[in-house]
Amino acid sequence: MMRRLLWPSVVLALVIAYPLLFSTPFQQRLGALVLLYAIAASAWNIVGGYAGQVSVGHVVFFGCGAYAAMAAYAHFALSPLVGIPAGIVFAVAIAALVGGPTLRLSGHYFSMATIAIAELARLIVTNTEYLGASPGLSGPAVPRNLFDLSFVSALPYYYLFLLVLAITLLITWRMTNSRMGFYLRAIRDSERAARSLGAPAARTKLYAYMLSAGLTSVAGALYAMMFGFIDPESGLGILISVKMLIMAALGGAGLLFGPLVGAAILVPLEELSNSWLGGQGAGLTFVVYGAIIVLISRFQPGGLLALAHRLWERHRKVPEAAAAEAGHAS
Amino acid sequence: MAFFLVQVIVGGLLLGAVYALFSSGLTLVWGMMNIVNFAHGDFVMLGMYAAFVVFSLFGVGPAAGAPFATLLLATVGVIVYFGLIRHIMEGPMLAQILGTFGLALLLRYSVFWWFGANFLSLPNNIVGGTYDIFGLRIEASRLLAGAVALLVTLGLHLLLTRTSLGSKMLAVAEDSTAAQLMGIRPDSMQAIAWAIAAGATGLAGALIATFFYIVPTVGETLGIVAFVTVSLGGFGSVPGALVAGLLIGVIESVSGYLIGAVYKDIVVYALFIFFLWFRPQGLMGKA
Amino acid sequence: MKFSNFLGLIGAAAILVGSASGTAAEDKVVKIGAVMPLSGGAASIGVHVKAAFDVVLDIVNNAHPELGNFPLAKSAGLAGLGGAKVEVLFADNQGSPATGQNQTLRLITEEKVVAITGAYQSGITLTSSAIAERYGIPYVNGESVAASLTERGFKWFFRTTPIASDFAKVFSDFLADMKAQGAKTDSIALVHDNTEYGTSVANTITATFKEKNLNIALDVAYGSNATDVQSQVLQLKERKPDVVIMISYTSDAILFAKTMQAQDYKPPILLADDAGYSDPDFIKAVGKISQGAFNRSSWSVGPSGSPSAIIADMYKKKSGVEMDDTVARQMTGLFVLLDAIDRAGSTEPAKIQAALKATDLKPDQLMIGYKGVKFDDKGQNILASGGIIQLQDGANYVSVWPKATADKAPVLPYKGW
Repeated sequence: MMRRLLWPSVVLALVIAYPLLFSTPFQQRLGALVLLYAIAASAWNIVGGYAGQVSVGHVVFFGCGAYAAMAAYAHFALSPLVGIPAGIVFAVAIAALVGGPTLRLSGHYFSMATIAIAELARLIVTNTEYLGASPGLSGPAVPRNLFDLSFVSALPYYYLFLLVLAITLLITWRMTNSRMGFYLRAIRDSERAARSLGAPAARTKLYAYMLSAGLTSVAGALYAMMFGFIDPESGLGILISVKMLIMAALGGAGLLFGPLVGAAILVPLEELSNSWLGGQGAGLTFVVYGAIIVLISRFQPGGLLALAHRLWERHRKVPEAAAAEAGHAS
Repeated sequence: MAFFLVQVIVGGLLLGAVYALFSSGLTLVWGMMNIVNFAHGDFVMLGMYAAFVVFSLFGVGPAAGAPFATLLLATVGVIVYFGLIRHIMEGPMLAQILGTFGLALLLRYSVFWWFGANFLSLPNNIVGGTYDIFGLRIEASRLLAGAVALLVTLGLHLLLTRTSLGSKMLAVAEDSTAAQLMGIRPDSMQAIAWAIAAGATGLAGALIATFFYIVPTVGETLGIVAFVTVSLGGFGSVPGALVAGLLIGVIESVSGYLIGAVYKDIVVYALFIFFLWFRPQGLMGKA
Repeated sequence: MKFSNFLGLIGAAAILVGSASGTAAEDKVVKIGAVMPLSGGAASIGVHVKAAFDVVLDIVNNAHPELGNFPLAKSAGLAGLGGAKVEVLFADNQGSPATGQNQTLRLITEEKVVAITGAYQSGITLTSSAIAERYGIPYVNGESVAASLTERGFKWFFRTTPIASDFAKVFSDFLADMKAQGAKTDSIALVHDNTEYGTSVANTITATFKEKNLNIALDVAYGSNATDVQSQVLQLKERKPDVVIMISYTSDAILFAKTMQAQDYKPPILLADDAGYSDPDFIKAVGKISQGAFNRSSWSVGPSGSPSAIIADMYKKKSGVEMDDTVARQMTGLFVLLDAIDRAGSTEPAKIQAALKATDLKPDQLMIGYKGVKFDDKGQNILASGGIIQLQDGANYVSVWPKATADKAPVLPYKGW
C-alpha cells in the first residue's frame, strides 16, 4: 500500500512545488497555462471521453464563462469572480437546451451539430453590442482590489488553477465511480446494448453534457480573468474547441489524467516552439507542431497515457510472472 | 428589386455549385471510411497553389492547371492514406480528428513556409470575361466551375453506382471484412477512394483559384463550408452534397441581399441545426 | 506511472524553458521586442513589418549620410548611447490575445528587452500592453486604431498612429472639397466588415458624418473572410450611392474588386480606408480593375532623393513588395521609440518613458506624412494625420489630397477597369 502511494505523492509534491522550482515569470505562467487548459480539457473529457460524444463546440461553454466574467466587470463594475456562477448557469442552461436535440445525433452528426452551434454563437456575439461585438470586452486595466483576480505574477493563478483542476478531477473521479459513470461507460461501448439493459441513455448523456458544460465555463472565466480580455475569436473560436479535444485525445480521452498529460505536452510545445521559431515569420512553428501531432496520432491513436498504461502493465507483469515462477519452484 | 433578386439567385446557384465542387471529395471519404478530414480545406488550398504554380511557370490557366492539380492532389491523397489515414481509421474518432487536424496545420504552414504569407491571385479573366445575358451577369470562371461541379458529381455518382470499381468500393465501405472474403482488397479500394476524393478536391481548388484569392489560410475559410455542406447533404451522398451546396449558396446569397451579409452565416447555421432536428441523417444520407 | 509520466514531461518542458532563457544580455546592444502577427490570417502584414524593421535597423545601426538629417541615420548605432547597436526580437502573436500576452511577458522577462512595439490587432495590443504596463516597460504602438487603447490611464503606452476619429475627419474634409469641385456627395454608402477594425472605424465615421451633415444612406456590414460578396455589391448597384467608402482587409478587398467588375458596378467615388486597399498584394491582384480608387494614407513616397523615397527603395529591395501605409506607420512607431531611447541616452525604462513624453518630432524628421509626433497625457500622438491617395494608373498610388502636399490632382469619376 505504501509503495502504491509513493509515486503519486512524489508527483503531487512536484506539481505543487513546480512554480518554486521553475520560478521565472514565463515558466510560472507556462505552468499556470498548462493547468488552465487541463481544466478545460478535463471538463471536455467528461462528455467527449467518458460518454464518447465528441463535441467540437465546447467553446460555447468556455465563452459563457469568459463573457460572464468580463460582462460582470464591464457592465456592473463587479469583480469578474461574480461572473463564475453566472457563467455556470448560462452554460448549464445552454447545454440543457441544445443537449436534448443534439445528443440523440450519432457520431459525426453530433460533432457537426456542435460545431454549427459554436459558430452560431460566435456569429451572434460578433453582432451583439452588449457583449462587446467584435472589439470584445476587457477586464480591469489596472486591478482595483484582490477580487479582480488580476495579478502580474502567474504564481497565484497557478495555485488557483491547481485547486480548480483538483476539484474538476475529483468530480470526474466521483462521477466515474458512481452509477452514472457506469452507465456512461456502457453507453460509450454500445449505446444500444446499454439501453436494452435499462440504462437511461438519453438522460445520462444529458447530465454528463451539463456537468461538462458547467466546468468548461469555469475554465473560460479563469482564462478571461488571467488575460483581462475576451473577443469572439478568443472566446468562441473553433480553435479553442479543437484544442480541448486534442489535448484530451493526445493524453488519453476517457482517462482521468489524460487531459492533464495532453495539456502538459501541448501547451509547452505550442509556447516554446513559438518562442523559438515564431519570430522568424516563416510558419515553422506550426509545421513542427502539426508534424508532432500527426506522428502521435499515427503511432499512438489511443493517446499517450494509454501507451504508458500498457508499458506499466508489461513492466508489472514481468516481475509478477517471475514471482509466480519462483512460487512454483519452491 | 425583382431583377436584382434573379441575379442574386443565379449568383447563389453558381456559388453553391462551387461549394458542392469542393465538398464532393470530403463526402466521399467521410461516407466511405467514416473519416472526418479536418485537412480538407487545406487540400483545396493545395489545389489552388498547384494552379498558381502552373500559371507562374508556364503562363497557362486552368486548362493545364486543373489536370495538374488533380494529379498532384490524387498523389497527395494516396500518400496521406498510406502514411496516416490507414493507421488512424481503425482507431477512435478522436485520433482521426487529432491526426487530420495536425495534417491541416502541417500542410497549411508548409505552404506558408515555401510561398510566404502574401495574397496571390491568377490574372483576372484568365478563363474569359463575364457574360451579359439580358443584363444578367455571369462570370465565365464561375460558370466553368459550376459546370465542372455538375460533371464531377455525375461522374462520381456513376462511378459508385454503375461500375464494378464503385461497387467494390461501396462493398468495402459496408463491411471491409466481408469484402475481403470476396477477394476485394480493402486497402487498395480505400487508397483509390482517397486518390479520387483528393483529386476532385484538387480540381476544385484549381478552378476556384480562377476567381478567388490564394493564401495559405484560405482552407480555413473554405473548410468549414465544406463540413456543413457535407453534413447537410448526408455523409457519403455525392448528389446530396450537390443539392446541399446549391441550397446553401442560394440561402447565403438571398439572405445576404435581403437581411444583410453579417446575418447570412447565422441563417445557414441556424437552418442547419434546425434541419438536423428533423432529419438527423442529412438530406440524402441513409438513416 | 500515470503521474510520473506527467512529471517527466513537466520537468522536460521546464528544462527547455530554462535553456531558452539562458541567453546572456550584451552590454552594447539595445534590445527591442516586437510582437507581431507572423502566422494566421494577418501573417502577411507581420512578415512585411519584419522586413521593414530590418530596414530600420540598417538605417540606425549603419551610417546613412544619404538620408541627410533624418534622425538616427547619420552615424552608426545610437549616438546617445555611445553608438550602441539596436536589435529587434520578434515574437509571433499568432492572432491570439493570449499568445500575444505570453510572448510579451517572455520578451520582457526572459529576453530583457527595454521596450516593446506591436501588436497590430487592437485586441492583442490591449492584452500585451497590459503586461508591459505592469512591468513598467515602454510600449510604442504604431498601428492599432481602437480608441479605447489610450483611454486606460496607462503610463507606459504610446501610440503614434492616427485613429478612427482622425480618419473620419480626413474623409469628411476630403468629400467636402470634392463637393466644392462639383462632385456629387449626397448619398454615401459605408461598406465594412464586422471585425474590431471595421466596426470601430465605421461607427466613428457614422458619428462624425452625422455631425457634418453628410448623409450615410446605406450601411453594408459583412463578415470578414467572406466566400462571396455578390449580394453586397448588388445592394450598392441597386441603391446607386454617390460615394462608397470601403473598410476591408485584403482578402475581402480583392473579392469586392473582382465582384464589382463581374457585376459591372462602378460607384462615382470609391474611397477606401487603408487596410486591404493599401496592401501591395491588393494592387498586384486587382489594381488594374480598381483604377481611380481613393485611399486614406499617411504614407506617400515623396520626390526621389527624399528620405521617404530612399527608405521605400530599401524596403522594396528587402521585401520584394512596395511600401504601404500599414508598414510605414509601423516603421514610424519604431523610429519614434528608437529616437526616444537615443535622446534618453539610457536603456532604463523610466528614462525612455520620460524621453517618449518629451518627444517633439517635426514633419521633416519623419518618413510619413504626420504633422509631427507629440504625445498627449494619454499617450496618443496629437499630430497624427493623413491624406488621400489615388490609384490613378492601377499600379501605384499618388497623393492627391490635401492640396498642399499632393503630387497630382484627384481624378473623377472612378474608372475601375
